[in-house]
Amino acid sequence: MSATVLYGWLAQGVVIGALVSLLPLGDKRRIAGLMAIPLALFAGPAALLHGFVGTPSVTLLLLAIWQLASRAPTPLDRRAAWSVIGIAALFYPLALGLGPFDPYAVGYQPWPLLLAIGTLAVALLRCRREDWLLILSAGLAGYAGGLFANLWDALLDPLLALAALAVVVGQLARRRTAG
Amino acid sequence: MTLPRWLAPTLFALALAAAAWRAPFPVAPAFVPPPPAVADPAPAYFSTALLPTAAPSAHAAALAELADGSIAAAWFAGTREGAADVAVWYATLGAAGWTTPRAIATREGTAAATLAYARKVGNPVLYAEGERLHLWFVSVALGGWAGSMLNHAVSSDGGANWSPPTRLQTSPFLNISTLGRAPPVALADGGLGLPVYHEFIAKHGEWLRLAPDGRIVDKVRMPQGRRTLQPAVAVLDGQHALAILRDNDTGPGRIRVATTLDGGRHWPAADALPLPNPNSSVALLRLKSGRLLIAGNGASGRNQLLLWLSDDAGKTWHTAATVESDADPQAEFSYPALLQARDGRVHLAYTWRRQGIKHAVFNEAWLAGGTP
Repeated sequence: MSATVLYGWLAQGVVIGALVSLLPLGDKRRIAGLMAIPLALFAGPAALLHGFVGTPSVTLLLLAIWQLASRAPTPLDRRAAWSVIGIAALFYPLALGLGPFDPYAVGYQPWPLLLAIGTLAVALLRCRREDWLLILSAGLAGYAGGLFANLWDALLDPLLALAALAVVVGQLARRRTAG
Repeated sequence: MTLPRWLAPTLFALALAAAAWRAPFPVAPAFVPPPPAVADPAPAYFSTALLPTAAPSAHAAALAELADGSIAAAWFAGTREGAADVAVWYATLGAAGWTTPRAIATREGTAAATLAYARKVGNPVLYAEGERLHLWFVSVALGGWAGSMLNHAVSSDGGANWSPPTRLQTSPFLNISTLGRAPPVALADGGLGLPVYHEFIAKHGEWLRLAPDGRIVDKVRMPQGRRTLQPAVAVLDGQHALAILRDNDTGPGRIRVATTLDGGRHWPAADALPLPNPNSSVALLRLKSGRLLIAGNGASGRNQLLLWLSDDAGKTWHTAATVESDADPQAEFSYPALLQARDGRVHLAYTWRRQGIKHAVFNEAWLAGGTP
């Protein structure tokens, strides 16, 4: 069994654990999330999600781990969420066949993408966003370690875009309620 | 806990360097040029036979010639297309005829090997590379064939045993909608060029460049003005290849064409062939004589299976033979696969009335109008 298969299955178990920890369970939410991981792995939901959505990105995995393990606010704040949505809104239609250019293909020989990530890293450093710098580092390490054939897959996936959308919608809803 | 300020940029620099080290820098792509054309002096030959039945409904055959000269076929069969009991079946043709089919890929086996749910399997592609026999097939977790993911397995003993299938990462959106139908072609660097297609929202052919170790190092679209599927490729020289595609758009279809003049880096659309295509799969083969052979359905639909020949690298075509024809428009003789064995015989396998896979063997003298 390949490392990519194991990674994908385990990571989907963690993602399910993070989703469970979002349930309104008060101070039991973290322990519920952690307990959900082995259940998801061995009772089938992780394999089901792995079948439906494929291998999760390292970015999503780290955000899921953050959700489960840290009391600090998630790095996927409003600004980061809008950035992910912006990239996804441009990337997915083109990658799925809108127009002749396929940005996903760039990820197989990702020199231009590495250059863009290097530039983004400088911007993140200037903004003191070390959290995202570490997340990007882990994504790059996942690619370098051979878990992904395409660098895009290490950095971005549809569940991540969905999570970003949930963050933005949640904040807008809260603002509306408060207003 | 506060991390030291130098830690994140240092880790990032290391990770970036590692990613750059791992990023492929492949040489400019080139095909293995076809051998010089040679005429086949053998007298006309033609025979047909149905392969042993594996299940009530069969479809989408693929062919390969094994290292020992026997012919291998793979197809998918079950109670009906898309049913949970559909498996990829495999049989070989030796001196004693076709062997009893064996299931070589199932949804259960695929799910177990990939730790991911799979609802159905389909569309096998075979390719023999020395002692190694490659099998690509699709699996679907959700929805129809547009939700297909591409899997790959290898056999080193002529198909007796197969490696657990691995899933290729070919699409950023749920890794879906990459399907194979026609065999790959050999590349000069030892890798393979695998024609595949995408059919979620947009429908078009694609080209996967695989390194000698199987890693995908490039993916190229075959853009067309119309919706197209199932490219089949023939190499004309080291840089030049022709792809023909199924016309999946509205109205009367014609066989669509893409060509590359740079080893597969680009596949611009060319003029469609003056050959009909009723939204059905086509097969393409460069014969040892240098002529090109297409198998596909006629204008009336899948009730007619024809062979067309080109003597001038695909510029002009003429009908060489009618393999099957039935007045009933519901009859189906479809999804042809072509292979020319080392002995010069041409093998054609196709879906026969959805009840089985039929195998025809002939040679170039028969195509030229000779009678067996």
